[in-house]
Amino acid sequence: MKQHSGQDVGSGLAGVFELHRHDLARFLAARCGDSEEAKDLLQELWIRLSTRAIGPIANPRAYLFRMANNLVLNHTRCRHRTMLRDRRWLRTDGDERSPEDRSDPDLLADEQIERQQEVEILRSAIDALPPGAQRALRLHRLDGHDQGEVGRIMGISRSGVEKHLAVAMRHLRNALADRGYFAPKVSRERGTTSAAKPRTEERP
Amino acid sequence: MIREDETGNSRSIFDAASAWHVETSRDDMDWEGFMTWLAADPRHRSAYDQIALADSLVEEHRDNLHEHDVRQAGRWRRPLKWSAGLTAAAAASLIAFFAPHFLSAPMATYQTFGSTEQVALEDGSTVLLAPRSRLVVTGGRDEKIELAGGAWFNIRHNAARALAITAGQVEITDIGTRFDVQATDGQVRVAVAEGEVQVSSSSLAQPVHLHSGDALLFDGEGGRAAVSKLPTDAVGQWRQGRITYEETPLSLVIADLARYSGIQVEIGRALRGRLFSGTLVVSNGKAALRDLSQLMGLELHHDRSGYRLDERER
Repeated sequence: MKQHSGQDVGSGLAGVFELHRHDLARFLAARCGDSEEAKDLLQELWIRLSTRAIGPIANPRAYLFRMANNLVLNHTRCRHRTMLRDRRWLRTDGDERSPEDRSDPDLLADEQIERQQEVEILRSAIDALPPGAQRALRLHRLDGHDQGEVGRIMGISRSGVEKHLAVAMRHLRNALADRGYFAPKVSRERGTTSAAKPRTEERP
Repeated sequence: MIREDETGNSRSIFDAASAWHVETSRDDMDWEGFMTWLAADPRHRSAYDQIALADSLVEEHRDNLHEHDVRQAGRWRRPLKWSAGLTAAAAASLIAFFAPHFLSAPMATYQTFGSTEQVALEDGSTVLLAPRSRLVVTGGRDEKIELAGGAWFNIRHNAARALAITAGQVEITDIGTRFDVQATDGQVRVAVAEGEVQVSSSSLAQPVHLHSGDALLFDGEGGRAAVSKLPTDAVGQWRQGRITYEETPLSLVIADLARYSGIQVEIGRALRGRLFSGTLVVSNGKAALRDLSQLMGLELHHDRSGYRLDERER
């Protein structure tokens, strides 16, 4: 992994890519669970590397894997937003117009409401975190300190920071899951709270 | 958890998933071990997706979740807040309702600031005007529209009517369709979601016909136009708080961040033409900016004077 000298940056990373192409392909396949999507993403990764100059990187292999992992996350995010949007349409069963006939501001307003709800869910979930996990998450995600800096500020080890952050992420995921954020279909009959469904006030 | 029941099991899966997720930022992350774990059970992948989505949602809403919002507000221009935009959206639909009345005047000007505005044309066609944009509608049977900034057009086809839209140096005619126009600093982008349009300019030898899924980038300085393909659901995606780019010059991406996120970024001249492909969540400007800098391998600086993107130092 040390063959990367820091000169000849763009092609250097492309070289590292070739070296790890097989591993990256395996990783993308395991991460996507879909070999076609994995192939596309590997291609996308290669295009990104070959069309852009990227500065010298201490650990190019880790960098490539992270980049691949981020690509998958980006796609997952897009897909998830699409799922939420489709679900919004399905949920407006009181509204007899078909999605095509509904005006854009309706949907935009719905999305704004949902995004506001996301903020509220996250805010209360963060407030409810154990103190250490909460501080680590705020420093890392909201103040933008890297994990090493968070450790220095809190006076704990890097692995201590990781444990706090892992606890925080699991709690946030649970809070979102409880409110139906990940559910692929309309399945909010159970445990629906007033805050989770303001639409009912608008469309009696 | 010793019991092998479903809850116990999935709980340990989510523990493991978040531990892996946190570890990915380490240079000595065990990617082989991660792969083995992912491959061991399909539930692992879905658990990891959920953890990563939850984390990225925190990033997306970072500005709204910040404890020190007030302190920061004085230091930089706050990005467009959808929450604050709610009332504006309600107001915009009211305007749309009354617009035909306004349009009996020969000319109407619409200027948006932090939110969007829906403009209704006489024949029932609509224009959704992007934030920080301006639309001038000159009424009558042969309507003329001038656009500076961004707008989503949903125009009813009417062969008897000659509607022309001017954006920068280009003119869009033969319209009966849904399409998006972005006009920024001499550069104009036209993307068609449905139907077709014709784009012409005095600096183009002949008009360009665009069909569904076509995206045109017109460069005013060079007087050139390039047509590429864009998935139709990515056309006018800013309405959902996102923008998808395909080999787009960074200068335009930066201009979009200013328009859609209210976030000002400076870039060096050498970076202006660098191409970017990817999707940015522009409803959260700072997160979009971080994503952009990471995806392009650029250094993001922030100080009193604002944000700046630079090459990584060698």
